[in-house]
Amino acid sequence: MSVLLQFMYSFFATIGFAIYFGAPVNSIIPSGISGGASWSLYYIMFSILNDKILATFMGAFLVGTLGEALAIKYKKPATVFITPGIVPLVPGAGMYYTMSYLVGRNFNKAINAGTEVFFMAAAIAMGIIVSTIFTRTIRRFKRQN
Amino acid sequence: MNHFIIKNRKDVQKLSTLAIFAGKTMLSNGAETYRVEDTINRICSSKENIKEVDSFVTQSGFFLTLEYEGEIFTYLKRVKDVGINLNKINLVNDFSRQFVNQDISLEKGMKTLDEINNIPGYPKYLKILGGSYVSGFFSLMYGGSPQDFLPSFIASFISLIILDKLSKFNLTFFIDRFIGAFLSSLLAIFAVKLGIGVNLDKIIIGSIMYLVPGVSITNSIRDTMSGDSLSGLSKGIEAILSALAIAFGVGIVLNLKSKGWI
Repeated sequence: MSVLLQFMYSFFATIGFAIYFGAPVNSIIPSGISGGASWSLYYIMFSILNDKILATFMGAFLVGTLGEALAIKYKKPATVFITPGIVPLVPGAGMYYTMSYLVGRNFNKAINAGTEVFFMAAAIAMGIIVSTIFTRTIRRFKRQN
Repeated sequence: MNHFIIKNRKDVQKLSTLAIFAGKTMLSNGAETYRVEDTINRICSSKENIKEVDSFVTQSGFFLTLEYEGEIFTYLKRVKDVGINLNKINLVNDFSRQFVNQDISLEKGMKTLDEINNIPGYPKYLKILGGSYVSGFFSLMYGGSPQDFLPSFIASFISLIILDKLSKFNLTFFIDRFIGAFLSSLLAIFAVKLGIGVNLDKIIIGSIMYLVPGVSITNSIRDTMSGDSLSGLSKGIEAILSALAIAFGVGIVLNLKSKGWI
């Protein structure tokens, strides 16, 4: 049930972002679905593995793959779908907590939170990179056959 | 194939003006540099007697050089104001493919590009509403209670309106984000003081999320991936600086609060 709620929240958040970035009208709903799906995957994986970094990687991988797939289906650049979809995974909460620990002079906790933010950002990059390579390989494989 | 042939030097100029205009429209609306490069090259090399088409695109401008009957033409275009409009990128991308595959004359192509450039985006208030909805739903996503939706919606709505009023002064993205984060967290604290919201941390997290540099992050990764490490690096630094600006904005407000001044 909570996963469904999380999907709904992230779906609407991604739609809001698509409008904010001026995405084409018929791409707004698909990018909302891809953002919602990736956040739900992150949420599920985080509750199973209890590892934010790995969960972020999986979410980013899903956004990248869905973005490339939707780009082919709707004949639009992949960024139109990836840019709004990636935003839910950006570690805004970690950034806030790092800052709030720093302000409270709680440096040990700040380092913990800050390192996690850094690696989550790296995980987003890795997720998109791996998904791009993945889809390119599939496309090349299909062209050969 | 496009069957309009380049006949003289004037046509070369028209063709390169078209390509430059297409590239400028894409770049100033937040496209990845490799896509801009592809588009420019595609438009120019669609003509048979244009050879040696090369373009070099960075985030803030581009070079284009092409050869026509042994003569080399070089152009340089500086692109300064970078906004974000994904729809225009998509339309110019479509146009470049149509231009290559169908019979579109240079004049008609220029007219189409002009129309694309003048397409109004979503109305300003719809965009602001979109950004505020983002904030409201983010505070719910990070585990806020339903009462936290409204304060973070209002906090980002007001700061988006103020940022929109400030946008005519052309502040850099750093100052923009700093002011946005500062205002949002200040308004969030006021909202909690007034008793509208419950969890201050969730409200602040939600209300700063509309500032997150989504386009810079995506573009920097995708540019680096396609071998364009120069633009990838510069956009990555833009993303990091934006994140720092947001953190500073929030940090100052939290600091003032911990000292009991707010």
